[in-house]
Amino acid sequence: MTSVAVVDYGMGNRRSVEKALEHVGARTAITSDHDELRAADGLVLPGVGAFPQAMRNLGQLGLPDVIIECVERGAPLLGICLGMQLLLDSSEEMGGAAGLGLIHGEVTRLQAGGLRIPHIGWNEVRFERASSLTDDLPPGGCAFYHVHSFAARPSDPEAVVGTTEYGERFGTIVARENVFGVQFHPEKSSRNGLSMLHDFVGICASVRA
Amino acid sequence: MILLPAIDMLEGKAVRLTRGEFDQSTVYDADPLDAARRWANDGARRLHIVDLDGARSGAPVNLEHVRRIAADVDVPIQVGGGMRTIESVRDVVNAGATRVVIGTAAYTDIDFLDEAIAELGDRVVVSIDARAGKLAGAGWTEQTDIPIETVIERLSARGVQRYVFSSIDRDGMLAGPDLDGARRVAEAVRGTYAYSGGVSTLDDLRALVELRQVNLSAVIVGKALYEGRFTVAEGQAVLDG
Repeated sequence: MTSVAVVDYGMGNRRSVEKALEHVGARTAITSDHDELRAADGLVLPGVGAFPQAMRNLGQLGLPDVIIECVERGAPLLGICLGMQLLLDSSEEMGGAAGLGLIHGEVTRLQAGGLRIPHIGWNEVRFERASSLTDDLPPGGCAFYHVHSFAARPSDPEAVVGTTEYGERFGTIVARENVFGVQFHPEKSSRNGLSMLHDFVGICASVRA
Repeated sequence: MILLPAIDMLEGKAVRLTRGEFDQSTVYDADPLDAARRWANDGARRLHIVDLDGARSGAPVNLEHVRRIAADVDVPIQVGGGMRTIESVRDVVNAGATRVVIGTAAYTDIDFLDEAIAELGDRVVVSIDARAGKLAGAGWTEQTDIPIETVIERLSARGVQRYVFSSIDRDGMLAGPDLDGARRVAEAVRGTYAYSGGVSTLDDLRALVELRQVNLSAVIVGKALYEGRFTVAEGQAVLDG
């Protein structure tokens, strides 16, 4: 059975992510244990909260190096919501902080053009290019559940796989090699979300095989 | 965060020392297994066992007690005291320890530390015993000038991921935890650590929770449990928030 470790750094939607991954057939563990993370076929980096606090917690647990090591070894990584933003080089949230730098670019406040912030609710994600993460989803795009005030701005447009329109159009699915990130919450996005997580588990399984 | 009951063994009995001094010991259980059973039955998720006879003599002495406890209780145990050679480490692992706590030798014998890490990975726990934020040496009788941050940085570089931080001034004093020290350690550790020293009330546990340090993963409690100031279940409930 494919194992996916949910990175535990004291913040966010760990249980719901774990349950969703189990639902799509992965063996999961919520852990901050370095060796357990290294042993997993793939990693999910969840997260709800502020970027600087998240990086601080990851740092205190010695996790940035372990995550990067796993990725460099080829393990697929999926960042969800704040976990996606952490993949980038930096964020301007609350005075700013450096991120994991796995996808180049920065995280800045959502330019919602007068619409309410945070951006909460179901919204259509448009697929901009093919990705193994969206293979089983309706062609062109589908709706996912969003909750966020900041948006990732990858410097390489090729890294933007999907976008959402909310006052502006911004990247909500990012990918670079075995690193994936989604701004929305697949674990709260019913069938399409589970389908995406299922595809991610499949990616983990294929790397392992 | 878990509550980690301490079982310190001296002359084969479960005792508490005051500030780590051997001549200030109080016997609580003639058989350490009784303490282990009590804490496990009360909901402990892991036990912290220190072989003080071993610490004094330089090699584990109470292996038989470790074996009996490991065979009897259902929870994982971490064992320290007298861990100075890889053979001693293997002995306690074979006796049933899931984690091994290394003290002074982690600082004085780098080859041994490297060997232990190579063999056990993150099952190695290094204890940092400090007085006023500086590392204390062998058996707490020596004092160094090395700040705990420097110590942690050096150990991290050798692959240590788990620590026990003991604030000696507080140990067995029921005088409240060293929150400043706990915070300093949390900032420096790249892994997880257990705090030890001075916890006597549920409010002390609350104060440690309030530090909101994600890598503070356990609180070691000794005397307060033996004296019935609170139960394992009550303490764990506070740590669970």
